[in-house]
Order: sequence, then structure tokens, then C-alpha cells
Amino acid sequence: MEKTRKWRWGVNRWLVLLFTVLSYLAARFFPPIRPHIQVAAEHLSTRPLFSLPALGEVYLTNTMVGIFIVDMILIVGAFFVNRAVKSGELVPKGLSGAVEALLEAIYNLTESTAGKWAKVIFPYFAAISLIVLFSNWLELIPGVDSIGRLEPSSQGYAVRQILPHVFALVQGETQGGGYLVVPAVRVPSTDLNFTVALALVSVVMTQVIGIRAQGLRFFTKYFNTTTLFTKPFFGAIDFAVGLLETISEFSKILSFSFRLFGNLFAGAVLLFVVGSLIPVFAQSLVLLFEFFIGIIQALVFGMLTMVFMTQATQGHAGEEQSQAAE
Amino acid sequence: MQGDIVAAAKLIGAGLAMIGVAGAGAGIGLVVSGAIQGMSRNPDLYGTILTNMILGIAFAEAIAIYCLVIAFLILFVL
Repeated sequence: MEKTRKWRWGVNRWLVLLFTVLSYLAARFFPPIRPHIQVAAEHLSTRPLFSLPALGEVYLTNTMVGIFIVDMILIVGAFFVNRAVKSGELVPKGLSGAVEALLEAIYNLTESTAGKWAKVIFPYFAAISLIVLFSNWLELIPGVDSIGRLEPSSQGYAVRQILPHVFALVQGETQGGGYLVVPAVRVPSTDLNFTVALALVSVVMTQVIGIRAQGLRFFTKYFNTTTLFTKPFFGAIDFAVGLLETISEFSKILSFSFRLFGNLFAGAVLLFVVGSLIPVFAQSLVLLFEFFIGIIQALVFGMLTMVFMTQATQGHAGEEQSQAAE
Repeated sequence: MQGDIVAAAKLIGAGLAMIGVAGAGAGIGLVVSGAIQGMSRNPDLYGTILTNMILGIAFAEAIAIYCLVIAFLILFVL
């Protein structure tokens, strides 16, 4: 036991050294450039795919390719896990065992917060967490954000041919405009469209679950007229608080989407800048940091959705009773 | 000349926008300090406190992220 552990550690150590030396040599032959940073997702197609009446023309963007890859990973994984579960073995092995452990942990967390509504809320929590987790981790795959097609630009860089039909951007003088890379795949979470869509799903389904749990009484959270005529003064305050709740629902969309987008976009910019300043080894530490940011942001997005949905199922009356009990 | 002034003003504006991060940092520090005190006094509630701590950090962090998004918008979009 002792011997095997020592042996593996030794090999990993030499691998790290080998890759460090290789990246040093690569940085000597191809001096790193600072990639072009753009908030909006880059268009891959020159002509729009189709046009919608309210939204205008829809292009194929590189974040769409990213979310397609994430969907494929999730669907293929779900297919294999489903087949393993259907095969009738009571003790799951390998991938299905890992997925079962993960989903059970998420379900227990939901049940401890939401109680009897766990069965309704759990799918949103699990689906949002998984899709955000995998789209955040897409950043860790080499080639994402760095491989794509060349596009002439006035502030571009010089190119050098390394293989037939394969070029690399290098530092140096350019005669009359160089080139920029339009990445073929970009992390979906660095596109504000993806995060706003997830936030809209989360907030709208919170209202739907609230109505399912409380019926029309749910709307007294926003237009609180229950005490307006019996106790005029405090009733007016309650009504104003209800209006503030309405505003906070809209600010939830904003905070959900900006939190995820800001974290991941900042991570991508940090990777670009560190990679262009210190091309050797330093980016690995930033990648480790991004790995944790990916987990935490996925968990936070899912958990906030779960907590807001749980609050929507409980309503005012429950809150007052629990406060009186304390 | 005017382009240079605009570029300089963008950088200064992005820097000024990030001042708000100081408050979020103090807020996250307070949240974690309180959570760790609670955990050390009542280790049985570790899981519950950790969950609520991460939620609180997320709320405090959101304010910092607003500043960051504004700085990015100033730098790369405007």
C-alpha cells in the first residue's frame, strides 16, 4: 500500500515537471498574446439562422456550441445511468453509483429545507445545478476559448503557419491589419443570455409553485389587502411591503443572472490575462480556483432557487405561526 | 488626443466602479466570522450553518459582482 502510493506520487511529480518544461518551450517559440475580450458572444455564422419578430435576427454563436456540448454530455450520461438502473442490479457501480450519491445528497438537502414539497422542488434544484456545473467546467477543457477561425481585424496580431491549414497567432509587427481568433466553443455561462434564461426559469417557476401550494392566497404576498381595512395604519405598511416584494422579485432575476455571469466572465478574463502575462504554470493555479468557483456557483444558483421556492410554498400564515412559536 | 482622454477616463471609471467591492469583502468576512463562531459553539449544526453561510456569502458577493459587471461593461462594451 505504502509502496504504490509512493510510486504514483513520483510519476505525477515528473509529469508536472515535464508539462512545465513543455509549456516553457511553447511560450518561447509562440510568445503568448492577450486575446481579444468581448462581452457579447461571438457570431460563428455570417448570416442569421432565422429571425424572430420581437428578438430580431438570431445568429449561431459560440456559446450555443458550448451549451450544445454540455447538453450532449448530460443526455448521454443520463442515458447510461438510466440503462444501469434498469438492468436491475441493486448495488449501483461506477458512474451510476456516483450519480446516485450526488442526487441523494441534493435530495436530502432539499428535504431538510422544503419538507413535503421536496418532490416538486428537487427536479429544478438538480437540473439547474447540474447544467450550471457542467457549463462552468467546460472552461477547464483545453481548446475551449482558444481554438477557432481567424478573422481579419484592425487591432489583430500576426499569424504563423504551423501545420497545413493550421495557424497560430504570434506577437510581432503586422502589415496592414492582423488577425483575431473567433473561438469555436465558449463557456455558456459567460453569455448573459444563458444566465438570464436560467434566472427567468427559476423565478417564474417559483411563482407557479407558490400558486400550486397556496392558491390565489399567494398573491397577498404582493398585493396585501388583508389588513388594509381592519387596521388602516399597519395595513398601509403591509401594502407597501407587498409592493417592495414585487420589486424584489424582479431584482432576483437581475441578481441571479449577474452573479453567475460576473463570476464566470471574471474567471475567463483572469485566465486570459494570467496566461498572457505568465505563460508557464501560473494558469494551472487559476484553473484550480475556477474549478472551485464552478462548483460553488452551481450550488449557489440551485440552492437559492430551492430556498426561494420553499419560501413561496410557506406563505404568510406559516411565518407568523412560527414566529409566535419562538 | 481626445481618444486618449476617453481611454484614460474608461480606465479610471472602471477602477472607481470597483470601490464597492470593499463593502462586499467586509460583509463576507462578517458572515464567515459569525458562521465559524456558531459552528465552534454548536458543532452539531455544522451542515445547516454551512448551507446558510454559503447563501449569505452569495447575497453579499452579488453586490461585488454588480460592480465587476459594471467595470467590465465600461472596459469592453462602451
